[in-house]
Amino acid sequence: MAPGVRDTVSSTGSGASVSLAGLEKSYERVGAVNGVSLDIRSGEFLTLLGPSGSGKTTTLMMIAGFEQPTKGDIAIDGTSVVAMPPHKRNIGMVFQNYALFPHLTVAENIGFPLKQRGVAKAERAKLVGEALELVHLPGYGGRYPRQLSGGQQQRVALARAIVFKPRLLLMDEPLGALDKQLRENLQLEMRRLHADLGITFIYVTHDQEEALTMSDRIAVMNEGLVSQVGSPEDLYDRPCNRFVAGFIGESNFLPATVKGLEGDIVIAECQGAVIRATCPSRPSSGSTVTLTTRPERLRFADTLNGSAQSMNRMAVTVTEAVFAGERCRYMLKAADGTMIVLKEPSSAAIRRRTVGEHAEIAWSVADTILV
Amino acid sequence: MGKKNFTTFGRRTALGLIGTGLSAPFVLRDGWGQTMPELTKIPDSLKGEGELRIATFGGTMQETQQKAYFAPFEQATGIKVKPFAGSDPTKIKAMVETKNIEWDLAQLSRGSIMNLMKTGDYFEKIDYSLVDDGVDKAYRFEYGLEMLVWAQVIGYRSDLTKGVAPNGWADFWDTKKFPGDRAMVGTGNGGWPELEFALMAAGVPADKLYPIDIDKAFASYDKIKKDIVKWWDTGAMPVQLLTDREVTMTSVWNGRMAALQAAGVPAQISWNQGLLKRDAWGIPKGAKNATNAQKFVAYSTMAIPQARVSLGIPYGSVNNGSNEFIPEERLKVLPSAPAIKAQLVNYNYDWWIENRATVITRFNKWLLG
Amino acid sequence: MLLVAPLVLYMIVLYALPVVTMLLRSFNDPTWSLVHYRELMDDSVFFNTLVNTLYTAFIVTLGTLVLGYPVAVALVRAKKWAPLIIVIILLPFWTSVLVRSYAWMVLLGRHGLINEALMAAGLIDRPLRILNTALAVYIGMIHILLPYMILPIANALRQIDPSLARAASGLGSPPWRTFLQVTLPLSIPGVAAGGLLVFVLSLGFYITPAMLGGPRDITLSMLIANQVDQLNWAYAACLSGVLLATALVIIAACRRLPGIGNAFKMSAR
Repeated sequence: MAPGVRDTVSSTGSGASVSLAGLEKSYERVGAVNGVSLDIRSGEFLTLLGPSGSGKTTTLMMIAGFEQPTKGDIAIDGTSVVAMPPHKRNIGMVFQNYALFPHLTVAENIGFPLKQRGVAKAERAKLVGEALELVHLPGYGGRYPRQLSGGQQQRVALARAIVFKPRLLLMDEPLGALDKQLRENLQLEMRRLHADLGITFIYVTHDQEEALTMSDRIAVMNEGLVSQVGSPEDLYDRPCNRFVAGFIGESNFLPATVKGLEGDIVIAECQGAVIRATCPSRPSSGSTVTLTTRPERLRFADTLNGSAQSMNRMAVTVTEAVFAGERCRYMLKAADGTMIVLKEPSSAAIRRRTVGEHAEIAWSVADTILV
Repeated sequence: MGKKNFTTFGRRTALGLIGTGLSAPFVLRDGWGQTMPELTKIPDSLKGEGELRIATFGGTMQETQQKAYFAPFEQATGIKVKPFAGSDPTKIKAMVETKNIEWDLAQLSRGSIMNLMKTGDYFEKIDYSLVDDGVDKAYRFEYGLEMLVWAQVIGYRSDLTKGVAPNGWADFWDTKKFPGDRAMVGTGNGGWPELEFALMAAGVPADKLYPIDIDKAFASYDKIKKDIVKWWDTGAMPVQLLTDREVTMTSVWNGRMAALQAAGVPAQISWNQGLLKRDAWGIPKGAKNATNAQKFVAYSTMAIPQARVSLGIPYGSVNNGSNEFIPEERLKVLPSAPAIKAQLVNYNYDWWIENRATVITRFNKWLLG
Repeated sequence: MLLVAPLVLYMIVLYALPVVTMLLRSFNDPTWSLVHYRELMDDSVFFNTLVNTLYTAFIVTLGTLVLGYPVAVALVRAKKWAPLIIVIILLPFWTSVLVRSYAWMVLLGRHGLINEALMAAGLIDRPLRILNTALAVYIGMIHILLPYMILPIANALRQIDPSLARAASGLGSPPWRTFLQVTLPLSIPGVAAGGLLVFVLSLGFYITPAMLGGPRDITLSMLIANQVDQLNWAYAACLSGVLLATALVIIAACRRLPGIGNAFKMSAR
């Protein structure tokens, strides 16, 4: 999908829907936003994924109200909030560094948003207790943040952000400071929380694996624009541009020339072979394009027992072979010298290739994308 | 003339700077424009070599001293003079006690010198065999020689008194006749309270002041207490108060008033019932160049060096021979001028040496207790 | 440890030894006794001066806090202008206490700038007496000590994670409540440090009260100087001991106060 094209809106459930329209923020420093339009559905877990400086955090800060957009509109449940100060937006927010108040206890931290809303003390204590249960930290209310581990602090921050039952929760790289093990645990917990609460999550990360694991949909951002929005499968299997293909997962890029169209299938010439690729757009005949394909979707043709007939095929030379336990990784050289990576699940039944060996590789048309 | 300008260390430095700061624009130039008497011949006994470190009160006074007798002394005797601003009896006490004596000679007062001598042996005896015969006997004492005559008088703003001149301390006390605030000497910074003025305000005749009736003096002080906005402790302060119209009247050192008048401030001296005071040279016990100090004490009290000081700053001489070197016009404004001296009361250092501690304790209690 | 040896030696020789020598004098001059301290007990001048000194220090601390806190906030918030504000705050440091006190004499005098301006504006019809009163002392001392309050507070404010204010705001707290509930409590270590510094420095002031104060605005250090002049060195030493002890007691007390003591610990983290 091209940047600037709106996705469809469906606003059901208890989560808020968020609509960004032509959002811009000019900066002298990095992180500018150059026109983001995006509709986030009620109850959705949407991730803004991109490298640092791509504008994802700036976009989040504009939704929260900490940054004022230079241009464009932000609507929550159809109401513009651009002129509304952050404390009136009723949005939960989790910061990368947790941003827990060091002078308040865990209970006071979690009770903070309730206090601002005039919730009576007894009610507050009850809600705080429930929130602590929810993040598996019962009995920690009397401690100070400095007495907790990083993971525990992040759970408190999470509890504080949801205790007042906001309909929208923003998270800015909330797991960035944690180690891998803890991160994976918390990823699961956040998924669970999302499912339990039914509210809308907007999650910012630069970690594609995290994005793929957790999100309903991912908006990939680059240089202040949304490159592509879609489900993790969409983005992985059908990247619509070279940036997305390269940023999410590993991809091989093959230069090709368009020869013609067959319905939705583009026929192109690549390394002397005829390759078929799927493509949402309709490139004109004779134009130079790039084909992309995932290394784990490639196979050596002689291992496919003849089913390679209907697939794309290409002759290569093995230049490097690495055995990595669960898989073997090969570096292959195409006719014109383009390097191709192939990942093959390891099996004692499959013969391993040696360097210098000539081979034919094959892969399905569905896994060949023209970008 | 008590404490004037302090330009060294600590609080003294600080407060002293007000002195220099304020007096700088008013530096007295009269006297130096005209030809000064020169001392061409000195006794061989005063000649010598090496150096002499002299502590002064700094400021305008030291500038005058430099021209009046430091420089001529160097030329005539071959002894190099190194002046230090910031003479202070407490420093001499510390220097002598720690045997680290940095000054060979210090400008003090008879009172300060005798006060210290009461508690120990802090000064060398003066070698009177060198001293000029013209120096009046009244100025001589065993551990010091007085070398400057000055007066503590009433200074007033003639514009605020509407041209009426106060005459004596009864007028100073009379805030109906002369409305406006007052300032007098307090006990800060080594001050000596002016009990004599309080007594005269209460009607005690000038020749019946000593021994001072302390109770009577404080009873008199009670009457002026509320009108005193500042109990001053540096010579610059009364000058400042007059310049800024903070007070109508204050006690003040007469030399400072000349500077104020020179700056165009409509301020006048009322000499009547002023106190005639003196500064004295003292040689700290064990000073390295004590011999040179003795020579300088003798030289600086000779008729011509004394006259040169009087020409530079309106303070009087201790040498009877000085007057013939001072023009008639100048003599009239010096505290030593007969018409003025007759109105002044001779300060009784001996009474004060005996009673100063009692008075100061009493004064502090009276003001703050 | 070896590296601090010169500093320790320096402190012992040039600070501890003189202080001990001085304090000893209050006990053994002329003979070993507590006579000077007993004298102190009956000395109403000392007592009133001590009270006046503490009271002055308290007012000055309060004044610097009230005036200094907003400046510290402005300093921390003004990113681009911060260097300029720093220069303005520190400018007075480049002139001596004496010159600044003198400047206040010029401003506060009966015919000084402030009175003339008020008269010209028709707000008063006769000059106010400000100079030579306690108020002038407070004004002069607050001016001199203001940087000692501003800089520690600004430092504490600068150390507050800016995301905390954002978090508070995002959690529903309007700006003024964010200030009261987050910024202010977190800046307490700076307020405590600045307050302590200003209070203790105030205890030792001499020049400003001497120049700007009225007849009764005597501080402990002026009284000490008075005793030195009178050659009552043992008694002066005894008064100095009291001044030193007062400062130490206040520092110790501050560390034990529940709120501030906690703040000290927090800032140590």
